Amino acid sequence: MSGIAGHGEFFQPTDLSAEDAEKATAWVKKRVDRRELDLGERMDDVREHMWQLEKEGEIIVHRVSEAHKPAMVKTLFGWDKKIPTMQLWHHKSCGQCGNIPGYPTSLLWTMNQLGMQPGRDYLDETDQTSCTAWNYHGSGIGNVESLAAVFLRNFHQAYVSGKRLGHQPGHFFPLVHCGTSFGNYKEVRKYLVENATLRERVKKILGKLGRLVDGKIVIPEEIVHYSEWVHVMRKRIASELQKIDVSHLRTTVHMACHYSKMVHEDAIYDPEVLGGNRAAVGTSMAEALGAQVIDYSTWYDCCGFGFRHIISEREFTRSFTIERKIKVAQEEAKADVMLGIDTGCVTTMDKNQWIGRAHEQQYTMPIMADIQFAALACGADPFKIVQLQWHASPCEDVVEKMGLSWGESKKKFEAYLEEVKAGKIEYLYNPELALSA
Amino acid sequence: MATYAEMQEIFEDIKKDFRYEHELNGCLNCGICTATCPSAHFYDYSPREIVQLLWTENVEQVYDAMQEKIWACAQCMTCAARCPFKNSPGGLVAIMREVAIGHGLQSAKDVLRPFGRVMLKLITTGNQLSPDMIQPDHFPDWGPNIQKVEGDLKILRRAIPMKTLQTTDTAWEVALKTSVEMYTIWEMTGVLKQLETMDENLFDVIEDFIEEKREEYEELLEEQKEAE
Repeated sequence: MSGIAGHGEFFQPTDLSAEDAEKATAWVKKRVDRRELDLGERMDDVREHMWQLEKEGEIIVHRVSEAHKPAMVKTLFGWDKKIPTMQLWHHKSCGQCGNIPGYPTSLLWTMNQLGMQPGRDYLDETDQTSCTAWNYHGSGIGNVESLAAVFLRNFHQAYVSGKRLGHQPGHFFPLVHCGTSFGNYKEVRKYLVENATLRERVKKILGKLGRLVDGKIVIPEEIVHYSEWVHVMRKRIASELQKIDVSHLRTTVHMACHYSKMVHEDAIYDPEVLGGNRAAVGTSMAEALGAQVIDYSTWYDCCGFGFRHIISEREFTRSFTIERKIKVAQEEAKADVMLGIDTGCVTTMDKNQWIGRAHEQQYTMPIMADIQFAALACGADPFKIVQLQWHASPCEDVVEKMGLSWGESKKKFEAYLEEVKAGKIEYLYNPELALSA
Repeated sequence: MATYAEMQEIFEDIKKDFRYEHELNGCLNCGICTATCPSAHFYDYSPREIVQLLWTENVEQVYDAMQEKIWACAQCMTCAARCPFKNSPGGLVAIMREVAIGHGLQSAKDVLRPFGRVMLKLITTGNQLSPDMIQPDHFPDWGPNIQKVEGDLKILRRAIPMKTLQTTDTAWEVALKTSVEMYTIWEMTGVLKQLETMDENLFDVIEDFIEEKREEYEELLEEQKEAE
């Protein structure tokens, strides 16, 4: 036992009874616990304004309905957030699909294992663009208007996507895979709700694209990140699907900045996870699977992605990720694996380890997403489904520690590639469902 | 070097952005933003300094910071999450970058030149990167283990069990209609104009590409009409 999470070795448990601990800390909580504060004047809940705008006939709110079987969670300030668990429109991440394809495949595989039916309970289709926010944060090319138009175009498509399959408007609710898309969309939604001029300008564009409903823009009631779906499904995933004991594995979690720091009032905080003091997603999945979650002093740090930096100033990206993430996770936490919940972080930490040798910084750590780790623990094939062949970090080590043979799995996959060449491809869903326009 | 009047104009353009009021509410120089900033570890960059320059309306030094410093920001928004005043130094940097581009600052052109491939991909396909951009040759610093199974990229991508991902030149297959809709967004929001200011050659390439895709889409619509 080395101290209490996040406080260093000099902190030790007091061993007070629950009642005494409550007494000892009640006055502190009263003063500083953010959930106890009257936030009425400090921060607006943008969703309340959305209902008003809908009443005034300005917008249509794409609701999380009973059909989406929502689970309720609490966010940073104790506000409620509805997480739809069914009828989901997969809004993909360009970084994941282009670079870490095992990220979305593990998610869809898990949904299938839980009995979700493609075309009814989820949809993956071609009529969507990226959020374009990676480029915006990297280059400054783009603007609020373009980001808002892209947001509303994509989410309008989510709203109407079920039509070709005989479903009502709003049947599928968007599930955003990328952390930057998630943060960006929330920011843009806020601007749209607050700024009538922006709404008017964007409405003209959406009108030209034929992307209005009854002459109105469609804004979703909630913006939901895939890791939030994983968070609310974690107990079912562990109890119904888990096949491999991972209790001997030491995991560390990297929290994505654009999940918990952009529009931070909307991130999930759960008293059952990290004492409710840090964003819960990612950690909650690892804990539900019974893995050890080891704290480390740079938990709150960014990964070093930098949007522009990972492309054109990689020395910053790699220096930061090695110094502040990989090295710390290895030396302090002695972790077997680092789990991410977002595209850029997984890419950055996964790809920028080998180069450390140039400066005699030989730190290595398998890097993957929470859902890839969960899928492995639930028996998914490390190659066909979890697609770890695209990772540069030593993921083979953690696969072996789970009791799976990397070499055997690889051989099987290489044999499967021969079948692929012959056109015998295995799909997670009927491929015809994907072709939307 | 810009005249004071030009620098003043640039500063006014920053202030004109409606987000400015959201992102800047005051500053006590506490420096929490800089203490928590990843870029401050490695660059001569301080989000506190950016906020102070704007807060004190230091027009000349704002202009100076726009030459290099604003491009150091990693846009993680840790500063925004931490600021007791609810400032967003990262958000202010985003506004400053946009204004730097709008005014065609040479420093912005220089910084963004290596980012051209991403912009080309994004503007023409709606995806920001693609599997064929992430080949070992392009990233020698990622090491020899960048791909754990050897093979033809097309076959490896076809072995991904999602139909939309079986692509090599886009991250996922984007419907033609979708791309054409995106071109309209770029045009109507002034993004293509921004691009023209930054890199005329890249703009020309993109404009030709867009024209071609639009023609392709028109033909597709014609074919569909005839089939009906």
